Amino acid sequence: MKKEAYLQISFAWLFAIIVGAVILFLAVFATTKIVKTERTAIDAKTAKEIGVLLNPLETGFETGKSNSLSLPAETRIYNKCSSSGAFGRQIIKVSQKSFNEWTDTDVNVGFSNKYIFSGEYAEGRKFHLFSKPFKFPFKVADLIYLTSSEEKYCFFNAPEKIKDEISALGQKNLILENCSGSEEAAMVCFGFANKKKCDVNVNYNSKYVEKGKKKMYFEEDSLMYAAIFADPLIYECQLKRLMKRAGNLALIYKDKAEFVSRTGCNSNLKSDLLILGNMANSLTGSAQLVSIKNIAETIKEKNSLADCKLW
Amino acid sequence: MRNKKSLKRAQLKIQQMVFMLLAITLFFALAGMFVLVFKFSELKDSASALEEKNALLLVTKLANSPEFSCGKAFGNTKLNCIDADKVMMLKENIERYSGFWDVQNIEIRKIYPKTSKNTECTIANYPNCNFIRIFPREIASEYSNFVSLCRKGSFEGEVYDKCEMARLMVSYNGK
Repeated sequence: MKKEAYLQISFAWLFAIIVGAVILFLAVFATTKIVKTERTAIDAKTAKEIGVLLNPLETGFETGKSNSLSLPAETRIYNKCSSSGAFGRQIIKVSQKSFNEWTDTDVNVGFSNKYIFSGEYAEGRKFHLFSKPFKFPFKVADLIYLTSSEEKYCFFNAPEKIKDEISALGQKNLILENCSGSEEAAMVCFGFANKKKCDVNVNYNSKYVEKGKKKMYFEEDSLMYAAIFADPLIYECQLKRLMKRAGNLALIYKDKAEFVSRTGCNSNLKSDLLILGNMANSLTGSAQLVSIKNIAETIKEKNSLADCKLW
Repeated sequence: MRNKKSLKRAQLKIQQMVFMLLAITLFFALAGMFVLVFKFSELKDSASALEEKNALLLVTKLANSPEFSCGKAFGNTKLNCIDADKVMMLKENIERYSGFWDVQNIEIRKIYPKTSKNTECTIANYPNCNFIRIFPREIASEYSNFVSLCRKGSFEGEVYDKCEMARLMVSYNGK
């Protein structure tokens, strides 16, 4: 008798405990999932917002334009690049610090018309951005250079032209010449400086930037800045994307040359533009830039002398 | 007899508990679904708000992007000037540019001098038309900006530049 009563009560309790535990587990599981989804959504939204806010950095008459971006929490902006497809893609991934831990998100936000040059990621609350047009020989795109306000760059022995440009930007993390007191700054050396002390070496005459053991070749100052601020892998990938856009633009200009010739407006650039288009589309690395540069120079000269300019 | 009675009471209690637990589970499931639906619609709203913001910011700068801008083709560099000849060639090659600007459509509509007809520009009727639609789809919710639309023309064998006033419209996928 006693035993039966004891068994009945214990079963009811056991049942309640098991089901209660299941409900509690499900509630905790669902809450964790919702919080994680919410964090991912915030990261994705921030990444998209950053991309959208880069639209005003498109330049008109200006040669360089600086802006800053402040975020409410400690943030890492990951810069990824994909060169596949007609124009490749600029991918931005954002991770924010929450409860002293970096959120881990797989959401990548992509843009086809943006070219951001930075390290693998930039970390901080405040970020500096400046943009410069890249012309090859026509305007191809506006290049965006992203740095955290905590990353400092010291430009040592830079040519006057570069010095003037940097001081005109007024960006606080770009220091000229006197770098004492900012030991943590990355040294960007031009010309024959003590290479051991330099993090980045720029050979302005031979047109290459050396970072670690990697050499990145450039044409135009806009690409030189890109090589200084970007991770070598990102630089090479973005360069391929830029060349794809240049190739497509060359084909549009070739079609335009044909189209306007019906009004008697001749430019004599069709065959050169076709060559440029094909060469730009098949670029595999920055070392090949020099070979495309010659045809770009020829086109630039022909266009400037033409009665009917294409751009 | 007493034994049977207590057994029945216990069974009844278990039944009560099962119903209670079922009710609680159902309540949590419904509440969870409500929260999810609410969050999902919030996410959709912010996505379309971002698209709208993208269109708004893009429209102010699109005319200066290389696929549209005049450059020095019509004299000095002009701000907010669209090269109509180039845009026509872009329209012809638009399949390569699908998804490039992340907007639904882009349209350039001449507003001055005014024309009574509403004709879309094609290679066949250009320049006797009044709007260029970049992607072959309708314009929905849009933001616009005033621009000059320039092209090359010829009169008695003489080539001249002709610039007209136009509206550049960027349409986004609104709700």
